Amino acid sequence: MPSEFTVRSDSVDVEQIMGRIQARIREKRGVDYTEDEIQKLANVTIEKFLDPTRVRSELLELYLKGRDASEPGTVPQNFTFTRYEIYKSSRGIPGKIIGALRLMLSPILKLFINPNPIIHALQSQSLINAHNEHIERLNYALIHNLVVELTRVGIEVRNLKMRVESLSSRLDFDERRARALESAVQYRPGAGLAAAEPVRERPAQQPHTDRRDADTGEGPAKGDAQRRRRRRRRGRGTPGSAGPMSAEGSESGQSGSDHEDSGLDNGPDDRPAGAAPAPAPTPTPAATAASDGGSHATESARPAAPDQERHTTDQ
Amino acid sequence: MKIAVVVQRYGLDINGGAELHARYVAEHLAAHADVEVLTSCAHDYITWRNELPAGRETLNGVPVHRFPVSRQRVVEQFARLSARVFEQPHSLAHELAWLESEGPTSPALIRYIQQNQDHFDYFIFFSFRYYHAFHGIRAVAGRSLLVPTAEREGAVGLSMFAPVFRSVRAIMYNSFEEREMIRAVSDNGSVPHVVVGIGSEVPSETKPERFRQHYGIQSPFVVYVGRIDENKGCKELFAYFQRYASAIGGDLLLVLMGNSILQIPDHPRIRHLGFVSDEDKFNAIAASEALIMPSYFESLSMVALEAWALGRPVLANGRCDVLTGQCIRSNGGLYYTSYQEFRETLHLIESNGPVAHALGDNGRAFYRRHYDWPVIERKYMDMLNQLQQADRAGQAPGRAEPLPGWWDRRRVTCRPANDVVRDLPSGPALKKARRP
Repeated sequence: MPSEFTVRSDSVDVEQIMGRIQARIREKRGVDYTEDEIQKLANVTIEKFLDPTRVRSELLELYLKGRDASEPGTVPQNFTFTRYEIYKSSRGIPGKIIGALRLMLSPILKLFINPNPIIHALQSQSLINAHNEHIERLNYALIHNLVVELTRVGIEVRNLKMRVESLSSRLDFDERRARALESAVQYRPGAGLAAAEPVRERPAQQPHTDRRDADTGEGPAKGDAQRRRRRRRRGRGTPGSAGPMSAEGSESGQSGSDHEDSGLDNGPDDRPAGAAPAPAPTPTPAATAASDGGSHATESARPAAPDQERHTTDQ
Repeated sequence: MKIAVVVQRYGLDINGGAELHARYVAEHLAAHADVEVLTSCAHDYITWRNELPAGRETLNGVPVHRFPVSRQRVVEQFARLSARVFEQPHSLAHELAWLESEGPTSPALIRYIQQNQDHFDYFIFFSFRYYHAFHGIRAVAGRSLLVPTAEREGAVGLSMFAPVFRSVRAIMYNSFEEREMIRAVSDNGSVPHVVVGIGSEVPSETKPERFRQHYGIQSPFVVYVGRIDENKGCKELFAYFQRYASAIGGDLLLVLMGNSILQIPDHPRIRHLGFVSDEDKFNAIAASEALIMPSYFESLSMVALEAWALGRPVLANGRCDVLTGQCIRSNGGLYYTSYQEFRETLHLIESNGPVAHALGDNGRAFYRRHYDWPVIERKYMDMLNQLQQADRAGQAPGRAEPLPGWWDRRRVTCRPANDVVRDLPSGPALKKARRP
């Protein structure tokens, strides 16, 4: 909806209001084109449309000539043709006398040839020319309007595409965030939270083997406990479903998280109040490997920061 | 002081902008000076056919002297010459032929002015572009004042008018934009001038409810008053308003008043009332949310001034420099140059009552400050008195620049007038004159 900004009525300044309206329009539009610019674009488009490499080679030239028929020498003017035209002379007063003589002698001319069909044909041709000129003008106006509208629609499509792209990227982000939140809730009660916090402080390039110890904070014993708990969770799944579910989980991160949801065993949320939710994990091969029972299950619940992602793929 | 007002047509039922302007000025100056109107017998501005009787009559207390038009306009010839002078390189002879063809060609009027120039102190010519102004000013340049009523269109770019703008004693401009345009085209900065404009006969009281009852309009509405014509920007207005109606919803109507020479769209929110009385017009403007002026070319919009006089905001076409300048100087209206701006500005006026009221109040104050009749009369009389003092002091009055010789008039040296106009500076004149 337009004009949601407030304007104080006690100090109305038209220039200021118009400036704000124009700025708002610029903001709202992906690409800011005025009507004049659209016209210019349309002119460019029509010339591109008439590119001689794509259509008849002389069409561009003919059309451009047709656009300015008044330009001297480009297009011959139509003529009006009366039955006296062939007897006229263009030499002023002597010409008028000559014309009158020719007209007087025309019965004699008719003894040799009959000029009437010629006169009739030329008269008709003049009318046909006038009609064609009219149709051509209409055609040009029609094509030009179509091109203007096409340009306008093209710009609108481009803006809509940009909006769709923006919306889809936002949607992706929201989905990842939602998944991360779900995963964070799932892993918090046990070692997950304890493990996640030191990870943030850890230098990114630390060797993997050392990191595992640092992550758990309690060495291999804690890691074993996690592995045991994960095995237990898998075992609690629907009988006979564990195999196929694992297989699906290894295909994509999305399926992997579904699989983890199905075996939820998180207990109460003991995260400190106000703790920020973990950002979304990117479904990476490492994450799916973790859900398969790899030794770094906590990493699947961690934020998918670029450097961490690199670590997992390096592994 | 005896003053002649010279105008192409004159009558109580002639409502063309310049003609009405001339009548108002003549009637109001009659209170301060001895005024006589010199005009043609024409009523129709297309053909200039002699429809009114030649001779003298009195209208609203002002003596009017009419002179016959010697030839009617031949439309084809006028169109051909217009195409020549506006669009092609041409000669001064072509321009003079164009002027003859445009009319109203009344050599009797010019003869009378020439022969009776000593009977008048000053001649106030209206509308620079017509035969009577060009030849009349050339006949009595030292006693002539010009109200150009110039719009940004081809005629301003014709080279024959530049000497006219330079040789008059004084110019009464309608707006700062008009002054800048004429200065740019003729370099007439040394000619005494004043930006005056015109007042209007706005009633002191209006009855908006009577209008609503009479026409059965209960919804809020914006109003357009004037000839409904593509040249006045009405086609664009219809397209924009229909888009606005479908995009915004609500119940805002567009009410149109005036004769139409354009097909009006059949839309539930567009109402055409045809030609209405002045009383209905003023009641309608008072009842409206705003007045819309979609015209691209105006030297001064009287109806916009009337809306401001009644305290209503104006939504103008931003491509018209004069209207844009007026809106900015008055802080009494908004303007648009695209559909997006139309949508935003109209919605702001529709939805933000306090802002609309503030714009209207500003407009009313602007009108009272600059366009109330006492102000206009004073500006005219000050200028006339200033010229009279200069005359008494023996300062030589201006003379018309002579026309070039026979051969030079026929040399093709003039640029297409449309090209000249295109190259003129555009936009509202704000930097030099923020306030009139």
